[in-house]
Amino acid sequence: MVIENIKLAFKSLFANKLRTLLSLLGIVIGVMAVVAILTLGQSASKSITSSLDSAGTSLISLYVRRNTDGIFTRTFGDELIEKIDGIDSVIPLNSSNVKIRYKKEYSNFQLYGTDSDWNQIMSYEVDIGTWFSENENMNKRQVIVLGNTIATDLFNGENPIGKYVTLYRGNAGKSYQVIGVMKEKDGSLSMSYNDSVYIPYNTYVQRYLKVNAVSLYSIKVAEGFDTVAVSDKIETYLNSLTESRNFTLFSSATFVQIADEITGTFSTFLAAIAGISLLVGGIGIMNIMLVSVAERTREIGIRKALGASPRVIRGQFLTEAIALTMVGAFIGVVFGILLSKVLSDIVGWELYLSYTAFVIAAGFSIIIGVFFGWYPARKAAKLNPIDALSYE
Amino acid sequence: MTVLDTLNNCVIRLKNISKYFVVGDSVVKALNNVSFSILKNDYIAIMGPSGSGKSTLMNLIGCLDTPSEGQIFIENEDISNLSESELAYVRNKKIGFVFQQFNLLPKLNALENVMTPLIYSNDISVFERRELAEESLIKVGLKDRMKHKPTELSGGQKQRVAIARALVTDPSLVLADEPTGALDSKTGLQIMDMFTQLNEEGRTIVVVTHSDDVGMSCNEIIRIRDGQIEIHK
Repeated sequence: MVIENIKLAFKSLFANKLRTLLSLLGIVIGVMAVVAILTLGQSASKSITSSLDSAGTSLISLYVRRNTDGIFTRTFGDELIEKIDGIDSVIPLNSSNVKIRYKKEYSNFQLYGTDSDWNQIMSYEVDIGTWFSENENMNKRQVIVLGNTIATDLFNGENPIGKYVTLYRGNAGKSYQVIGVMKEKDGSLSMSYNDSVYIPYNTYVQRYLKVNAVSLYSIKVAEGFDTVAVSDKIETYLNSLTESRNFTLFSSATFVQIADEITGTFSTFLAAIAGISLLVGGIGIMNIMLVSVAERTREIGIRKALGASPRVIRGQFLTEAIALTMVGAFIGVVFGILLSKVLSDIVGWELYLSYTAFVIAAGFSIIIGVFFGWYPARKAAKLNPIDALSYE
Repeated sequence: MTVLDTLNNCVIRLKNISKYFVVGDSVVKALNNVSFSILKNDYIAIMGPSGSGKSTLMNLIGCLDTPSEGQIFIENEDISNLSESELAYVRNKKIGFVFQQFNLLPKLNALENVMTPLIYSNDISVFERRELAEESLIKVGLKDRMKHKPTELSGGQKQRVAIARALVTDPSLVLADEPTGALDSKTGLQIMDMFTQLNEEGRTIVVVTHSDDVGMSCNEIIRIRDGQIEIHK
């Protein structure tokens, strides 16, 4: 019976193609708008996330502006790990603005001194050669790893591995052996990876740091812990240590959370407005179903005479209304995806299809089909067979 | 024949049937205390002028309507107080309709039209439906017209599709309402011949008509006038 009803529904929808299409327009536009808005909302949120995420959302950066109370030392990382749950590792980072020389001299490069596992935590990959080892760090070896742009600029096609570059402090230069070149990596808010050079932390401290003070800690949150929550705990702990507030905590997770909230609220709001057009579409469905019932009064009479019960007739017209909205939803989803594709191409976001949007759109269409199809179907079911048979 | 035999042989039994219609303030009595029985293998014409109550009687026999007073039994089942869906069930199983205007579904071909009543009897598979419908169409001589839409068929052919549709459920009673009314006399005769043949094969047939020619084809005539049976012969 259900299969017959579905066949019948499509037969009658195909019999009036133009009319079917026109009456579907409301649903199509509504579904298209909902799908496009939710899809674009998700794409926007994902693209914000991924731009902030190049450092990973499980990272917290602790910037030290001034080491007022002398707490931000080399060993402070171990203290944090011990005091606060959910910290995997803490890696110190210091930097200076330096001149560098290989054949030609370049100024204004950022030199970083950091630990041997920093690159792993930042997901910063080696292109050729290696990152420095813990052994090289402990022994304060004069080795250097170059950011991708710097390596290209300095060496101009030459293989830099094993070559020596000179780093200046004031006018005093010192030679460092190049052991690796990093792959390109998009910069974060505070750091330009490709234009920087990296040496072991202990090597750095010996030559560039007069006091035992770290300027940036990269804190890796342990798996299974919420980055924002851990960041809050660190802040509370720091406030209990110093009143100076000479530090800044930053995690991209916090930004991601805020961005998600904003895009989420915004797109839900817009989708709700688009939902109104679905409602208007539903009225269109009801209108066309009423016309269809009136037109087919005689058919209903014949079917009743042949033994169709009111329930069966109601099912037939309800199926038709649902089929109508489902076709509309399908067309709407297709156009919604196309629209999102075009718009996201224009804006330059990567397209993330929102499957939730498809489910919402399809589910909503069925509800609308049932809701607005019910009255016409009931009307058909209640027709008196004798009157219906004599209807001209 | 004993009374019990007669009862068992009864396809339809009307007992003191009256039917009223309210028109404005007045009550119109379309049927007034009508009683008669239709037995198995009867071939009866119900005749009478327009407004005689003929159509009302047909609607009651066809289970399209229920009486205001009295009882109707179909194969000894009282249908006087059935709900609409129960009546639909009875129509589907026991009655085969043939109408003056054929009443075929225009978008369906002959085969699909004949299959339609079987869709409403839930116990028949798709395969069986097709087989039964084909058999029925072959029986009325339309083997080579199965895929034709009603608009591609002549009047006589349409009426034969309608007869095939009426027979496909193997009903207890074939009820024909002016079956020749929309046909030329030659085709009408062919249709009546078909009814006669079906009756000879054991079908119970009731034809509602005001044409004497049609009435003469039947074995029995019930004449209705002013809501009452005038002659029953």
